[in-house]
Parts: sequence; structure tokens; C-alpha cells
Amino acid sequence: MRVARPRETRWPAFNRATRRIGTGVAFATFGIGGVLLSLTLFPALRLASRDRAVARRRINRALRAVMALFIWFMKRLGLMTYTLHGLERLAAPGRLIVANHPTLIDVVFMLSLIPAAGVVVKQALWRNPALRWPVAWAGYIPNSDGPALIEDCGRVLRGGRSLLVFPEGTRSVPGEPLALKRGAAQIALASHADILPVTIVCDTPFLTKDSVWYRVPVRRPHYTILVGEPIAASEYAESGVPHATAARRLTARLAQYFTRNIESVLGHGRAAMREPPAMHPSSL
Amino acid sequence: MQTEQEIFQQVRGVLVDLFELAPERIVPEARLYQELDIDSLDAIDLIIELKRVTGRKVQPEQFRHVRTVEDVVRAVRELLADPSTA
Repeated sequence: MRVARPRETRWPAFNRATRRIGTGVAFATFGIGGVLLSLTLFPALRLASRDRAVARRRINRALRAVMALFIWFMKRLGLMTYTLHGLERLAAPGRLIVANHPTLIDVVFMLSLIPAAGVVVKQALWRNPALRWPVAWAGYIPNSDGPALIEDCGRVLRGGRSLLVFPEGTRSVPGEPLALKRGAAQIALASHADILPVTIVCDTPFLTKDSVWYRVPVRRPHYTILVGEPIAASEYAESGVPHATAARRLTARLAQYFTRNIESVLGHGRAAMREPPAMHPSSL
Repeated sequence: MQTEQEIFQQVRGVLVDLFELAPERIVPEARLYQELDIDSLDAIDLIIELKRVTGRKVQPEQFRHVRTVEDVVRAVRELLADPSTA
């Protein structure tokens, strides 16, 4: 799927003002819609089946549809455009999908694209009265510390589901080098799952960590999402290399991979955005 | 019996190899979690490696209160002094 970037608007100030309103509408829709679905559709799907796994699959499918609808809505509101590459790779089961995390809606994007996946999400969601049950029913995993997380994730991957992790743990800090935690590498090494790296690039600061939603960027943001070639964690888990060492090496390579892809996409400039940017599979 | 300095060098060697740290960062007062970026999973690997290097039986409980490089050195010294771990 490829979406051409629309031509520049003739009325940039007007465009920006409408995007500000649109962003408010999108936020309100997401918040209200999320609460309503958590009270209606998700409990209904959970109650419709005695089998937890069946209910989980249905909820995952519903979540994907809802997220895709929301992405479509944002695009219709003219809040952003996007280009997607390598989506077919997301269909393979049992992979550890590892993505960088520049903006607030990355998880929405990813969930709209992945057929059925567990997600490692903030532990705090289990204390949120509206979300705690839906995240549990969807089979999501709290980002607890240490061995419990690794074990939970291994179970999901061995069961053939894919697992989405944002190894930064939170959104990137604009202008600073990516800071990846080693959990994702530890999960891959312990479960022998292949890593599928996904680079998310937004060409202008948008919904970043320290931004407020109503301060919309001067021009409409464009997302480029690149699903890369899988990386075999087993290459790093050679005999004799302790996990602690292998996890550091694997994490460093992932950081390097994301950084190069981001630079490559941004360096391409806006005119060349229709062409797939050069990837760096050889660097892995 | 190894001297304090020898044990420190041994511990430093293990930390450098295992966690790919620059040797000059391993000073006695360096805190493992905050300054050397060693997490709870790393701690397990560290204990396994110390077991191998010292040839002693190591109980994870002995490392529960370890916070700094100095604490690791002290724990290893106690291990070496304790005949029951041989």
C-alpha cells in the first residue's frame, strides 16, 4: 500500500488551524470511543465465548479494525499522511515485532497493521479502571521487570502469536539518540524468536513526548513505516556468549539499525518520499 | 588467599567482559544499577560468571544487598574465606 503525499496546501495558516481543530476532534473521539468500547463491545466479545483464547482472538480482531478506522479517520481529517513498506512481513506468526516510538499514535498504527499480536504495554494500564479488563482480555503483557516479563513473552511467542514491543519503553526524546532498553533483546534471546524490526519515521515533530496536542506542526506530518527483514536472534546467542553480553550487542545493533533508517528516510527529503528509502539489512 | 586488589581486578575483568564496559568505569564506588546499567537479568549472569571464575558455590541471596562494585568485591571475598562454599 502506498499513499502519495498530497501537494502543499495554498493556505498554510488555514490548513494549520483546521488541523488543530481536527486533532482535538481526534483526541476526543479516541478518548470517548475507547471508554465506550471498553464498556460495550469488548465485554460483549469476552462474554460471548467461554474460551478465553477465542475471546482474545475476537477482541484482537476488533481492536485491529477499530485502530484501522481511527487511522483512516485521522487521515480523512487531514491530520497526517503515510507511506507503508514491507507490510506483508507482519503476517508471519510468532515473531517479536520491535519498533521505535517517535509519536503518540505509533501503537495505533502498529495495531492497525498486525493481524494478531500481543503487546507489551505499560503496567499502569492495569490500574486504569476503563482499560484494565480490555488489556487483560486482549492478552497484553504488562512491562514488569525482569524474569516474569521474559517468561510471559516467551509463552506468547511459542504459542505462535506475534508480540509487539517498543524497546524504548516510552516515546523517543526528539533530537536525542535513541535509548533502547535491553528487554526486547532479552525476550528474543530467551525465546529464540526472530525479530522483525519496524522503523517509524515522522518527518516533523508531531505528538512527541513533551508536546501538547493543540500545538500542531506548521506543515502536515508524513509518516513512513518500514517493516524490515527479520533478524535471527540466534546469531547473537552463540554458545559461550552469556545473555547479558549478547543482549547488549543485539540492542546496540537495533539502535544503529533504527537510527540509520530514520536518517535515510529524513535525508531523502520530501520530494523523494514516494520512493522506498534505502534499507540497511546488511548492517545486521 | 587473594588480596583485596586481586579480587577487585578479577571482578573488574568479569564486569568488562560480561557487560562490555570500559575498564575505567569500574571503580569501587560505582553503583551497578544506576551507573553501570546492570539490570536484574544481568545480575543473574553476573552470579553465574562469578561462580565460574571463583570456582565456588554461590547463593543468589549472598548478592541480594549488593549495590556497588565494592559490595561485589566484599561478597566475593567472603565467599573465598568461607570454607563451606568450596
